[in-house]
Amino acid sequence: MAENENGFGLCEECGVNEACYTISVMMGGQITQRHLCADCMAKMNMNLAAGNVKHLLSAIMSAITGGVEEAAAAIAEEGGEAASIVCERCGTSLSKFTKSGKLGCPSCYQAFREQLTPMLQQIHGRVQHAGRKPLDDEGAQRRRAVYDRLSRQLEQAVAMEDFETAAVLRDQLKQLSNAEGGENHA
Amino acid sequence: MRNDVVLSSRVRLARNYEDIPFDVSDRPEFAAVCVSRTVNALKAAGVDKGFELFRLKEMSDASCKAMAESRLISRDLLNHAQSAAALIRAHDAVTVMMGEDDHLRIQAIRPEMDLLSAASACFRVDDALSRQVNFAFDEQLGYLTACPTNTGTGMRASLLMHLPMLTKAKKMGDVGQLVAKVGLNIRGVYGEGNEALGNIYQISNQVTLGRTEQELISTVTALGNQLCDMENALREKAKNEGRIPLEDMVFRAWGALTNARLMPLNEFYQHWSNLRLGTAMGLLKLPLPIVDAMLDHVQEAHLCVWAEEALTGAVLEEARATRIREMLGMTK
Repeated sequence: MAENENGFGLCEECGVNEACYTISVMMGGQITQRHLCADCMAKMNMNLAAGNVKHLLSAIMSAITGGVEEAAAAIAEEGGEAASIVCERCGTSLSKFTKSGKLGCPSCYQAFREQLTPMLQQIHGRVQHAGRKPLDDEGAQRRRAVYDRLSRQLEQAVAMEDFETAAVLRDQLKQLSNAEGGENHA
Repeated sequence: MRNDVVLSSRVRLARNYEDIPFDVSDRPEFAAVCVSRTVNALKAAGVDKGFELFRLKEMSDASCKAMAESRLISRDLLNHAQSAAALIRAHDAVTVMMGEDDHLRIQAIRPEMDLLSAASACFRVDDALSRQVNFAFDEQLGYLTACPTNTGTGMRASLLMHLPMLTKAKKMGDVGQLVAKVGLNIRGVYGEGNEALGNIYQISNQVTLGRTEQELISTVTALGNQLCDMENALREKAKNEGRIPLEDMVFRAWGALTNARLMPLNEFYQHWSNLRLGTAMGLLKLPLPIVDAMLDHVQEAHLCVWAEEALTGAVLEEARATRIREMLGMTK
């Protein structure tokens, strides 16, 4: 590849203009660098800014299946088995989801689980939730309130460089986490 | 204190009711349920104090847009104006948007670098609601959202940063690589495409699944601190090695903003960036919150609300110039 003054060569998206931007894409916990021209960079930023993840998703789907069109053709050959998967609750089909990037309802996650899991793995690098959970009792809420308060105090102590207090607070937070039986806080 | 570089911190949680389709924009019956259920749950949980309900279809176009300009609601919510609503607690900038891509977007904004406080405010609302209603949640995948890029925590933590010296030194490419290395995202806040007018950037977490909220917030905060240090090192260098060119740049901006009679938005951003840099570095004795507030108040819808009429073209630019002089105390 001929390199330009930035050392990037041609844009990897359009293959026409000279690349002048480097973006790093997080895929499955791996960072892949891509070199883009100003036009394609602008398009990508617009999509991100508009929250339009359709392109991102089709790129991911193509990474998984080796090309959306080929995948669609393969699916058609197999008698449209995968494409015809439909969420029974809301009627959204797998092909509609891959086109729009949006799921129809919470049950779609169950209906498309087989296809969604590798996609989520690509996007997030992990597929096991580690964050907060809906509260079901007052005790959990109280513990969480204490945790939030201690976290705040810890931040303040660190900011004030009061490391002695910070160490005590860190211990208290740890105890609280252990008492929760591994439940995650934030 | 990181307020010399960080303008504000924002945390946003996406939540959905488990028994309703995600997209309610063309389903008024579901949209109505989203609003009434949320309002009732907040009331039942006793955390409704201070929240005011805004239904977008009942508001003027300018008022809706002005709320989006202040980031109290998202621009996407404006696309669902017929069905969308927002509960806003103005005194501490907490918003529960209803009927965006997800049923609920719980959001809190804090001035300066304070993601933890913004997160706590969101969690309090989330906890209160979750004891009254059933959110779509899966033990393996966490909170289920309309778009798989939000699945898991449903949380986006972001910092709005002013990075004029890093931009001037053409270091934003390096910054971009650094940001990507820790799995975060960076983009310009104002302008089209790859522009970052006013040298204002937003950094935020890209992944939402498989990490705790605490981990995500720590990552964004740590990177925010690192960028602050990089920016401040360049500012210090400019102060020591090129004081006169720096002062010239700052005072020219002051001159333009306090004297211009017509102010196009693009030109404003350029002067604003230099004005804020000069203020943060102590070259100008201005309150930073006023300087930061200018960003909202010079936007089109804010000016229309302020002038109580629809403004366009030169009249809009004139109103902007007047508003700027007023905010900088030059019209008395």
